[in-house]
Amino acid sequence: MPNVQGNIVKTATGNQADKKWSMIKRDIIRNRYIYLILLPVIAYYIVFHYGPMYGLQIAFKDYGLADGIWGSPWVGFDHFKSFFGNFYFWRLIRNTLLINIYELLFAFPASIILALLLNEIRKGFFKRIVQTISYLPHFISIVVVVGMMIDFFARDGLINNLLLMIGLQPIAFMQEPAWFRFMYISSGIWQGIGWGSIIYLASIANIDPTLYDAARIDGAGRWKQTLHITLTGIMPTIVIMLILNMGSMLSVGSEKIILMYNPITYETADVISTYVYRKGILGADFGYTAAVGLFNSVISFILIVLANSISKRVSEHKLW
Amino acid sequence: MLHKRSLGEWIFSGVNTCFMILLCFVTLYPFLYVLFASLSDPTEMARFRGMLFYPTGFNLEAYKAVMNNPMILTGYRNTIFYVAGGTAINLFMTTLGAYALSRRNVYFNNSIMFMIVITMVFNGGLIPTFLLVNSLGMMDTPWALLLPGAVSSFNLIIMRTAFQAVPVSLEESARIDGANDWTIMSRIIVPLSMPVIAVMILWYAVGHWNSYFSALIYLRDRELFPLQLVLREILISNSTDSMTTDAAASDRLDIGITIKYATIIISTLPILCLYPFLQKYFVHGALIGALKE
Amino acid sequence: MQMSRKIINKLAPVLCLGLAAIAIAGCSSEEMPKGSTKSAESTQPLSHLSYWKEMHPDAAAIMKSYGEITAIKEIENNTGVKIDYQHPAQGQGGEQFNLMMASKSLPDVVEYSWNNYPGGAQKAIQDGKIIPLNDYLDHAPNFKKLLDDNPEWRRQASTDKGDIIGFPFIRPVRKLQTHDGPVIRKDWLDKLGLPIPKTIDEWYTVLKAFKEQDPNGNGKADEIPIMIGAGELAFTGVFGIPNGFYHEGNTVKYGPVQPEYKQYLEAMNRWYNEGLLDKDFAANDSKMYDAKMTGNQVGAAVMAVGGGLGRFMDLMESKEPKFRLVATPYPTLKSGDKPIFGQMDNQIVGIFTAITGSNKHVAETVKFFDYFYSEEGRMILNFGKEGVSYTMDNGFPKYTDSVMHNPDGLPLAQSLKQHVLSADSGPFLQDERYIEQYAARPEQQEALTVWAEPSNEKRMPPITIAREDNSRYASIMNDIDTYKNEMIVKFIMGAESLNKFDEYVATMKSMGLDEAIQMQQSGLERYNNR
Repeated sequence: MPNVQGNIVKTATGNQADKKWSMIKRDIIRNRYIYLILLPVIAYYIVFHYGPMYGLQIAFKDYGLADGIWGSPWVGFDHFKSFFGNFYFWRLIRNTLLINIYELLFAFPASIILALLLNEIRKGFFKRIVQTISYLPHFISIVVVVGMMIDFFARDGLINNLLLMIGLQPIAFMQEPAWFRFMYISSGIWQGIGWGSIIYLASIANIDPTLYDAARIDGAGRWKQTLHITLTGIMPTIVIMLILNMGSMLSVGSEKIILMYNPITYETADVISTYVYRKGILGADFGYTAAVGLFNSVISFILIVLANSISKRVSEHKLW
Repeated sequence: MLHKRSLGEWIFSGVNTCFMILLCFVTLYPFLYVLFASLSDPTEMARFRGMLFYPTGFNLEAYKAVMNNPMILTGYRNTIFYVAGGTAINLFMTTLGAYALSRRNVYFNNSIMFMIVITMVFNGGLIPTFLLVNSLGMMDTPWALLLPGAVSSFNLIIMRTAFQAVPVSLEESARIDGANDWTIMSRIIVPLSMPVIAVMILWYAVGHWNSYFSALIYLRDRELFPLQLVLREILISNSTDSMTTDAAASDRLDIGITIKYATIIISTLPILCLYPFLQKYFVHGALIGALKE
Repeated sequence: MQMSRKIINKLAPVLCLGLAAIAIAGCSSEEMPKGSTKSAESTQPLSHLSYWKEMHPDAAAIMKSYGEITAIKEIENNTGVKIDYQHPAQGQGGEQFNLMMASKSLPDVVEYSWNNYPGGAQKAIQDGKIIPLNDYLDHAPNFKKLLDDNPEWRRQASTDKGDIIGFPFIRPVRKLQTHDGPVIRKDWLDKLGLPIPKTIDEWYTVLKAFKEQDPNGNGKADEIPIMIGAGELAFTGVFGIPNGFYHEGNTVKYGPVQPEYKQYLEAMNRWYNEGLLDKDFAANDSKMYDAKMTGNQVGAAVMAVGGGLGRFMDLMESKEPKFRLVATPYPTLKSGDKPIFGQMDNQIVGIFTAITGSNKHVAETVKFFDYFYSEEGRMILNFGKEGVSYTMDNGFPKYTDSVMHNPDGLPLAQSLKQHVLSADSGPFLQDERYIEQYAARPEQQEALTVWAEPSNEKRMPPITIAREDNSRYASIMNDIDTYKNEMIVKFIMGAESLNKFDEYVATMKSMGLDEAIQMQQSGLERYNNR
């Protein structure tokens, strides 16, 4: 019984496979120029992205510099066990997730709101000035940004002087674990809000102006126009950005945190990447670094796939 | 543009304008602070507290010290080359990819897209990438900074999204007139997507301007160092790094506090000067987009 | 069915790519041949030598390559060998080093802290990355004589197995090995009529007076009596322990879990609560540090002799003419005690210029570097070229005026680096006549004497962790350091009660502290047996 069925299935698949191949052949002939155009890009991805991927295996190996990637001995899941069994594992996960969630809640919408508000400014000159100024912080290196932050928010820095003037107690912004996330997110917004709005502004510029005329004729006010035309118009961009953002839920750039944190704020500031930096990079433990990286990648991948399929179902916007 | 404004809209405009002015101040002040601080007397600056609205004690020593660094000019020259060359490669490759992937009814597009997304989360890591670049003979050459990042998947996806938004009807009519894919891409899709292409130029160029990591690991010849690396050296060498236990390092003389600020000004000034012009073209591009009908 | 076909369709191109990738990887991966690569001896004289070295930050600001240094030019002149320097970018030398080691072709020589090679220097030799000097000592009579005359140097320059790692940077005398220590505002002490504190109780009295009696005279109690970090050796040393490993009669112990450490924390907690210890002690960066020092607020600190004491005296000369920092002895518990711990480098600092497995002219290279250790080479590297960077004054090599007072206004630390390697590091013997001129102020010279008091008998020698333990050790100590740094700050600030000290010790034990101590212990035994 199972044999018979198996044979039937096999022939069916065989036929279908044949059909598939002829369809693919037709597709390749019909779209040959498109594939030709795509060729350099595919070549690039194969060489520079898929080429080095064999290196992922060192997550399961005790990597020795002289043994090389292929020659190092296998250690199975040792690196993963040591990461999951780590004293700080849950704290690292919690800190990483919270920073990302806050970023998604506050920093992500901030740029969209700025773009919408900028769009409402009618005076081109003023709009241009605001835009130019708001992009500036993006050009400043993170070393400097954090340096200025430490300066301004020091115990006797500018901000605390102002607080004292209005009769409040000074706050040790950079030394209180409770303030760390606020400082991290808000400085991120300061540096990135303008730059982040560029893509939404470009996307607004692409909206067909006749839509506004039609809405105006229908008697829609500015609020309604913003809501129904502008926001709807940039929705695909927002969704794509959101999906891509979802993918980085477990990764926070370590560079800024390393500059910002100190042992007092580890409690809220120590994230996976900073931990790996201290343990893996400084200690040249590449196998461990790769293992944590792989763990991050798998989670990110699941999140992206999830976000994409939810979005496909809810809004019809999708990545693939 | 003549239409009645309701009271609510007037209030909104007012609030909006105030908000924008506030934003500008919050954004701009730290820069002014840096500018004033860089012109200040180092020791006075060291103990200065509060808001700077002009330099405290005028002193150009910091600028002199930065300009004494033989690497600054070399760095400038190299960075300009990397920005121009890198952005050109990026733009060419990304446009090709985005165009091809934005076409409908191409059988493999979905799978290729999926494959590209995979590279956004999985990568081989530092060592294999290094070995690859090494074995391609790009070590210690400008190529190491230009080729490995030729396409940003993120930008590719954004550009593809924009290309998809171009009405299909335009493409179809062109095709009836006998246009091939190359013509459609270069004559229809690209011109109609100028706002996004302007954004891409800006993103890629600024990416190259700010990038230092590849240079950090692939370059050993200081004649090839980009400006950011030089800037970083000045900034880092001026900070106490608790991780260095190098005895010689703890014994070094600090070359002054204001030098940090002077470096920032010197390294960002050209972009700040150029920026309003770029911005004009950028907004111009956006306007073309908005006015097209 | 539907599903699986979909998946296959999705995966097909990915799989194809994967295969292609593996194929490419196969071609591109560079695997090192196992074992030591004995290079073919050639008889040609050495003419070029590629030399990888991290640039000193001060040098990076004024030159593109060490080939520009007067001393190096002179060496090249005298030997006919041209050095092609390769300099990694600042701050990430370690990363570039590790990556470089993953590839097959290395520069001829690499100057680095070779014990930081993943797995240690012994592993580097075993991997064929470096060629130990033992078999080549006959080509290096000057260097060999130094090692023969100073068995301790040989011990510190070797691995546990006795392989000589490379050409070491040597600080031959104590005056060169110690450069950090506690300093205090002498003018404040004088104003309040107090003597230089020696015991921890005297320190408390002095700091309390600094806090309450307004020594800077601005009418505000804004003085920061002392600005030191958590776990500062000068003050843990009071209680007879360092902030890390030490040994007592060849038994390795870990300072931060000893009962004495609790006493240290109690003292610091009290200082913190009474406002004697800088409130930002755990978060100071260089700029804040400088601002507080030059802001005439700080009474005492621990700093370097040149970049600290000398620099602040220079900076404050015009602003606060009375400003005077003097070194204090390392404090002790009871008066008359001799301090046990103090900052001190090893004579063999740990920076080696090693000959790599890619070097094709090993013997010639050895001969070349031997010149660096000859009397002539030593003079050149420490003082440069006679008539240009120094003149002989009654047998004393005196740096010229253009070095000491650079016409372009470069600080001494930088102008020295234009000409010599003495303020840097390299394969040679440092000369104490350099520090006598570099740290020329009487306060600095006094500091070098006062700080050299501690016996440092319990200090760990430069041992190495066994190669098979290396990654486990790094992993344990990373967690312990994170935890320790976090907890001691909390203890000092009072965020965590000192009643929990036992709990803190127990947690470190559960993280594998005993295992790490054991690894240190066996390292010490191997070291003593060298």
